[in-house]
Amino acid sequence: MSTRITSGMTQRNILASLNLVNSRLTTTQERMASLKQINRPSDDPYGTSRAMTLRQNLQATSQYKRNADDAKSWADTTEDALADITDVASRAKVLLTQGGSDGTDATGRGSLADEIDQLIEGVKQSANANYRGSYLFSGSKTTTAPYAMGADDAYKGDDAGLDPAQPGVLREIGPGVTIGVNTVGREVLGNGSGDDGLLATLRKVSADLRSGDSAALRGDDVTKLDANLTKLLEVRSRNGARTNRLEMATERLDQLAGTTTEQLSNVEDADVAQTYIDFSTQQAAYQAALKAGATIVQASLMDFLH
Amino acid sequence: MPISSFYGLQTSLRGLLAQQRSLDVTGHNIANVNTAGYSRQEAALAATPALFLPAGGTLTGSASLGSGVDVTSYRRVRDQFLDLQFRGQASNLGQWSGRADTLQRAEDALAEPGDNGLNTQLGKFWDAWSDLANSPNPNSDPAARQALVERGQAVADTFSQVYDQITTVQQQARAEYDSIVAPAGPGSSGGQIAQIASQIAQLNDTIKRQTASGDSPNDLLDQRDQLLDQLSTFGQISVEKQGSGAVNVSFVDTASAGTTYSVVSDTTATWAGPPAGDAWSPGGRAGGLLEAVRPGGTLDGYLSSLDGVASSLTSAVNGAYGGTFLESSDPAHPAGSLRVTPAIVAAPSTITAGLAGQGANDIALRVSQLRDGATDGAYRTFVTKLGTDVQEANRQVNNAQALTDSVDDRRSSVAGVSLDEEMTNMIKFQRSYQAASRAMSTMDEMLDVLINRTGRVGV
Repeated sequence: MSTRITSGMTQRNILASLNLVNSRLTTTQERMASLKQINRPSDDPYGTSRAMTLRQNLQATSQYKRNADDAKSWADTTEDALADITDVASRAKVLLTQGGSDGTDATGRGSLADEIDQLIEGVKQSANANYRGSYLFSGSKTTTAPYAMGADDAYKGDDAGLDPAQPGVLREIGPGVTIGVNTVGREVLGNGSGDDGLLATLRKVSADLRSGDSAALRGDDVTKLDANLTKLLEVRSRNGARTNRLEMATERLDQLAGTTTEQLSNVEDADVAQTYIDFSTQQAAYQAALKAGATIVQASLMDFLH
Repeated sequence: MPISSFYGLQTSLRGLLAQQRSLDVTGHNIANVNTAGYSRQEAALAATPALFLPAGGTLTGSASLGSGVDVTSYRRVRDQFLDLQFRGQASNLGQWSGRADTLQRAEDALAEPGDNGLNTQLGKFWDAWSDLANSPNPNSDPAARQALVERGQAVADTFSQVYDQITTVQQQARAEYDSIVAPAGPGSSGGQIAQIASQIAQLNDTIKRQTASGDSPNDLLDQRDQLLDQLSTFGQISVEKQGSGAVNVSFVDTASAGTTYSVVSDTTATWAGPPAGDAWSPGGRAGGLLEAVRPGGTLDGYLSSLDGVASSLTSAVNGAYGGTFLESSDPAHPAGSLRVTPAIVAAPSTITAGLAGQGANDIALRVSQLRDGATDGAYRTFVTKLGTDVQEANRQVNNAQALTDSVDDRRSSVAGVSLDEEMTNMIKFQRSYQAASRAMSTMDEMLDVLINRTGRVGV
């Protein structure tokens, strides 16, 4: 016996197929509206996990970039201050050469010594440079100015960053990758009398000019000032290398952000063309189902009986 | 043996009456074409006992002369085996859809993947630590600490929102479960099961009495079958037919074979509610809901996973921070009660960014380096687990729906009313009725000749 097809069956089947096509249309419509392939974890559990990882990575990358930009500004400000100090030291060298010459008399040397004293204040002022409220040359004691103005030449900061035991001012520019950004003032300017730092050397030049010690002015002082200039150059090139590294890191992070965004889009975003094609196909299917349903439901034996 | 002259009239009358009854049944079928649970009926016709003609009536000896037709019964066309199959599938569909409905709501609570989910909040929290590492100086840049506290609170709020929403889903599903299984009590008609049970018991009573008086209460049987269909969506049922026409109904425990819970016994509704402590697996929607909400069930599992993520976050952050930054006010529910330590909220400037001077940021760096570590991983695993569970439940719902529809189709192929068929029958019975009355007219004409014209010669 062939299967009996009853009115109830026909109606239910038509309704069921309309519902099915309709629910597919709704899903596609949701994809078109959100432009997302994954709208909830159950759409694709593994894809969700990947999308979440990539979102985290993207967020981390933009933070690392922000950190690197901050470190770069710090290094740039440091470089400006170091350039100022180098200018001052070079000026001191000129004054020293002038003072060491036998043609300069005691009065001339006295006024040269006065200028050196002014230069010392200038050096300290440059060393007290700050970036967004943090002193650049105090090690980790960023709220303390590294040098006091006046006669006190003692270094007030700490050796963080120079001393391997103390972490310096670090910036995180990648997962687990940090870069130290600070320069310890003591390394360049010294800790006042008793060492060969720039401040002590300048103080000695000033004293030698006043006392007219030509031998020292032509010998020891020149050597020491040259040594300090070399040291300054060394510190500046270290800072410059840091700037290079940061620029490279920023570039790499930009690239990484690009690739991660692309990957995230591959995992999470709907393929617009595909979605539109799906939508048209399903719409056609829906219309076909409606038409077929209407035709089947209307036809009856009653139309043909009298 | 002589045969009555009016014999043929009687035979035709039976034909007329039987066709009329068949037409009545067709009318009943057409009237109920849209009645849920209705099974088509048909009048079973059988020839009435023949008139026995002993020897001498014919040349060959004895013979039987047909006496017409009669309706022996009005049959309900239905396949009880398909009912069994349907109820098994309906119970399966109920179970998976109960589970899917519940888990989908838990899934919505997560808001993943997206900008409002915990994943993004955690990312922003790590960002805030990194910003603190960039501006560790509390005097020159207090905003970094303030922002960190706010990010920390946002993470804690998101944790407790997700936790609360899953708890709410749990309560709602429990309320639905109760509205299904609650037994009838004084002043309450009970849950859906109890109400169906009392309707079945009443139907049992009526059916029993009508069956005893030799009647076949087709429409009441349809009603009872429909109630049994409804009952089967709530749990797996077993139906035992009694000789009296009544049925005994009970739920079958799907986890322990042989354990049953009586719902209706003869004419009494015996449903007394589920066993204490949720100690049963009824299948059906009740079973699906119970599986999700029972202590140690699916939702409890989600809550404890979330607690695990919150504890892992707290211990990782506090460990790296070297003090208490995050804490849970209620140790039993770390995720629901996560917060930034009140002392830090009150004075964000007390957050230590580094160990040495004020510019040191080793601590803040250490915390920010927890990014994308064990905590984020544990949370992703949790989201994936929930997503997989919902996906599985949805797939099972689709499967069960397809199977239920297929059995239902087969069932209505047998029991459903086909209008085309009824129209054909209508014409068939109408023509038969006309033919029977034509036979009667013929008899009448014959009798007319006999009564009015015979022996009237010369009158």
